[in-house]
Amino acid sequence: MKKKSGLVVLSLMLVAVLMLSACGKSGGNGNSGTGATNNGAGEPTKEPSAEQVTVTLAGWGASPEEQDLLNQTLKEFEAKYPNIKVNYEVIADQYMDVIKTRLIGGEGPDVFYLDAFEAPGLIEHNVLEPLDQYVTPEFDVTDFEKPMLDAFKQEGVTYGFPKDFSTLAMFYNKKDFEEAGIAAPPTTWEELQAAAIKLTKKEGGKTVRFGFGVAPELARQMFMIQAFGGRVADENGNAAYASPEAVKGLQLVTDMHNVDKASGEPKEVGAGWGGEMFGQGKASIVFEGNWAIPFLESNYKDLDYGTAELPTVNGKQGTMAFTVAYVMNKQSKQKEAAWQLISYLTGKEGMKTWTSKGFALPTRKSVSQELGYDKDELRGAIVAGAAYATPWQAGATLPTIMNNFNNQFVDAFMGNSKLEDAMKKAQDVANKEIAAAK
Amino acid sequence: MAQASPWKRKLKNNITGYLFLLPTILVLGTFLFLPVFYSLYLSGHKVNLLGEVSYKWIGADNFVRMSGDERAWIALKNTASFALFVVPLQTAFAIMLAVILNAKLRFKNFFRIVFFMPTVTSSAVLSLIFMWIYNSNGLLNKFLELIGLQGYNWLGDPAVAMKAIMLMNIWSTAPFFMVVFLAALQDIPDALYESAMLDGAGAWRRFFSITLPLLKPATFFTVVMGIIGTFQLFDQSYIFSAGSGGPNNSTLTVALLIYQYAFKNLDFGYASALAVALAAVIMIVTLIQRKLFAEEKLN
Repeated sequence: MKKKSGLVVLSLMLVAVLMLSACGKSGGNGNSGTGATNNGAGEPTKEPSAEQVTVTLAGWGASPEEQDLLNQTLKEFEAKYPNIKVNYEVIADQYMDVIKTRLIGGEGPDVFYLDAFEAPGLIEHNVLEPLDQYVTPEFDVTDFEKPMLDAFKQEGVTYGFPKDFSTLAMFYNKKDFEEAGIAAPPTTWEELQAAAIKLTKKEGGKTVRFGFGVAPELARQMFMIQAFGGRVADENGNAAYASPEAVKGLQLVTDMHNVDKASGEPKEVGAGWGGEMFGQGKASIVFEGNWAIPFLESNYKDLDYGTAELPTVNGKQGTMAFTVAYVMNKQSKQKEAAWQLISYLTGKEGMKTWTSKGFALPTRKSVSQELGYDKDELRGAIVAGAAYATPWQAGATLPTIMNNFNNQFVDAFMGNSKLEDAMKKAQDVANKEIAAAK
Repeated sequence: MAQASPWKRKLKNNITGYLFLLPTILVLGTFLFLPVFYSLYLSGHKVNLLGEVSYKWIGADNFVRMSGDERAWIALKNTASFALFVVPLQTAFAIMLAVILNAKLRFKNFFRIVFFMPTVTSSAVLSLIFMWIYNSNGLLNKFLELIGLQGYNWLGDPAVAMKAIMLMNIWSTAPFFMVVFLAALQDIPDALYESAMLDGAGAWRRFFSITLPLLKPATFFTVVMGIIGTFQLFDQSYIFSAGSGGPNNSTLTVALLIYQYAFKNLDFGYASALAVALAAVIMIVTLIQRKLFAEEKLN
């Protein structure tokens, strides 16, 4: 009997220890959070009234050079606002999944990157802080390129300020052009088609170099849908890319692959993406953005290439624009400090540092002029596209629309199905899924 | 006092027992039972967790929605055909490897390590290595060219993308089951083989009449575990298709679809309903197998 009560005591103790250790852990976490904010309280600062605060900033990873540049910008910010400490963290993979999950758990960062294409979804869920109330006249909102700013606006309310952007430009291999006897980069789709046929090189029945390297996905083909008046989605957020107008534009893309056999996707030649395909000399022309320039410079130094604006389709200019903004978490506890960070990073001073090396292009007209990217030999074409580019965005239902498009378009691109049928199927399935999710 | 105490003592004993179990119950409860019941609860609701949290009871609507969801049917079909192809082959392959290792070989331990290597390697790492092998200019295509066959765009062509994952999966899971068979093989008494030899049975006859029938319990285990594993295929098709299940839904599995609905579309209610349905399918398939194997046991 005595022995047994001893066991009871023992097991009770075990439970108590387990519980205490669990409590101790969470208590420790709580302390470390406030500890950081208390750290500098004793030190004299420029503004003694201001309390020391920590702002968390989350973004996805980039090249080491880019990372250094951002760290430099953040250091300058901390020097200017000594009472704010920036806790910058990189989310290495599946950025949006991580951000969404953390927002659900109430553990979201104060400030984070947001791609224009994901913006409508988050705005609809009401997790972003509207920023209009914080804006001061000195911040100069009108200085931003309008299409990039509009990507983060809904019903007149601004939820984010774009940090940088890129459009697609035509990258062409000068040596290949010379060998094929093509004097100037193509300016119309018909010229592109003719050039691509000439540039395609075969060895023993196998294509070793495609004239045109193409990415068969919606993010890169949206402007082709619009070229003849088609639309990706209608007012109700339903997919609309099976219309004859939309198919007409896309047909040009699939025909060059299946009829002319003059274009190919990176996977067909064992490359990961267009820039790599172009660098390896497996495509003479690709449509890529500003991100490809530092990549080519560091990986394929001897490559002799030029850029030009995309060829016109149906007599009209068109390209895609990709932009990313800094947005604020609605649940943030340091909104004032978070705004200070956003306004510095997207302000004239911060943006100048961030875009000074050309890894990213400034969304402010004044900074763009000051740094002279519109006259840059390689970047000029990318900057010029901003005037007529289609921003990569189409409402909150875009993830569903895109998933179904990509799935079916690849199939048509590979020649396994007819384009009209594939687009019809993709549109029907997407709209069914959208209706079911309502 | 003597009359009241047995009941009391029993209770006391039980409490002691449960207290000892408490840590396990807590851990399992938090990480196993709670999520299971929570997902059952979610499967009957329309859920919004991001922004304004709301749960709306919609009864069996999520399950009704499934019947009209084309991608769910494609995913189920892909998963089932994956299991149908992979499970028999991985079982046969595992038996073959086990029989080879059970024979009196030289460097037996060396081969054991080599055969077992794929199982101890992380499947994410294996997927990345295989992506290089399957690359259009990769090892496999070069090898096919060398022996005069035509290569494929293994990852980009819907017709072969799933086959590529199947091959890799068989290769990486068979060694685990090989170990199971190896243990079972060593339990078969040599006397049986000796008497069969005296009766004039050849190697094949001995294999089919002695080895295979005596391996039946191990085979049952392997097939059940294999089916459960293949029905839950996620990481390999996720990495191969970068999460899309493409090209043309050819690598879409049920687990990948659940992930897409939960984290891409934030539709946790429907995703949970899909997860419940997948669990039900696995359970039914396992019960059918049990029935089949048990009946044969009686004979």
